[in-house]
Amino acid sequence: MINIFRVKLALSSFLITTGLLAQTGKLQEEKELEVVNFKSIKKVLEQDGLTEASKRKAQQVQVLKKEQGKLESGRFMYPTESELWGFVSEYWLVKNAQLLNWDFEKPDYALERSFSSTMENLGFYQKKFKILLVNTPSLVKASIPGDNELIFLLSVPFIKSLDLSKLEISLLLFEEFIRLEMGYFKKNVATEKMSKLAGSNFQGGKPDLSMVEELLKNYTSQINQKGYTFQQQFELTKKVDAYLKSSPELWNTYFRLLGKIDRFVKSNTQYKDYVKLYPSPEMQVKWLSPPEKVL
Amino acid sequence: MWWLLLLPVLVFAETASTDEKLVGIFYFKPMFGHVHQSSVKTSASLTTIQCSHPVKVIESSKVSAGPEWAYVQVADYRGFLLKQFLSEKRPDCFQGKYPKFFDAFNLDLSELYYWGRLNDQYIQGETRVK
Repeated sequence: MINIFRVKLALSSFLITTGLLAQTGKLQEEKELEVVNFKSIKKVLEQDGLTEASKRKAQQVQVLKKEQGKLESGRFMYPTESELWGFVSEYWLVKNAQLLNWDFEKPDYALERSFSSTMENLGFYQKKFKILLVNTPSLVKASIPGDNELIFLLSVPFIKSLDLSKLEISLLLFEEFIRLEMGYFKKNVATEKMSKLAGSNFQGGKPDLSMVEELLKNYTSQINQKGYTFQQQFELTKKVDAYLKSSPELWNTYFRLLGKIDRFVKSNTQYKDYVKLYPSPEMQVKWLSPPEKVL
Repeated sequence: MWWLLLLPVLVFAETASTDEKLVGIFYFKPMFGHVHQSSVKTSASLTTIQCSHPVKVIESSKVSAGPEWAYVQVADYRGFLLKQFLSEKRPDCFQGKYPKFFDAFNLDLSELYYWGRLNDQYIQGETRVK
């Protein structure tokens, strides 16, 4: 019995000693690694959901970094085509402020209401427009594109000389609206560079401003010298004719207005260029007149 | 008794300060514009501001702005802005959207002035929704 007890005691003391040795047998470096190595507490972290949280955090940081990159890159974008048209149109007006002489006290023609009403009568809704009256006879009328809006230029000396009524002015603007809708201005003025650069990115470089300079030159040439072709004028007149046919009062006023302009520009040397730019009121009257019957 | 002489002045000062009310902070919408000396489009410019600039709209019994105009304070200037140019929310501005492109133009003072005038001189409208 005593022997059995001795054997058990010896065995247990051996096991305790081996266990202690096993515990203390780790190298200092190994212990340090255990402290540094998070694998040893991985289970605890997993149980606490900390690993998931850390993963989520890392993902959030990545998303934020991506967004930041996008924002930074967005600062180097060229405007979209529509925004570019709006910007260049206004920049051209600013650059030509003295020549066009639009910064003056104007008579109140109540054009906003009369033009809106004419457009609505003809079925054109939700159209944003800006009218700029100019105090010069050298530019009679023009329509240039804005950013999702229309910009009309109209000469006050011309309106006064012809003693145009509100309705006549509105019809003149309506013709310009159709001209812009038909895309002639954009077609005559746009450049390859513009379509290539609009909406693109120039990060790491400088924006190519020659694109805007070219457009500004084209604006001046189109509005002051080039104007529109006979073919474009014919198509425009026919389109306006089609829209106005449903309203005989408006059609008659437009027809009379063209005759009035024709007589005026023929007799007034100040407006001799009008026919070159918008050929020609005389032809427009002919295109609108019913064909003469040959007996 | 000398302080009795000051009483009307003190009472007046009190009324004057309560006469004014801050309607709110609004933001300027067009690309550039002018704070006008009076509520007339062609009146002199006190200062030029650009899109998204915050302005304090003030209501004062002493200043009649008219239905289309707002009486505003911008920095140290008090003047008039067209109400149609103001927004309660910060607008999406061209120069904010394309800062590097816009900065490259390096607009001079005269161009900034005329751009502001251009927005005053436009006759603006929109045909209604059907």
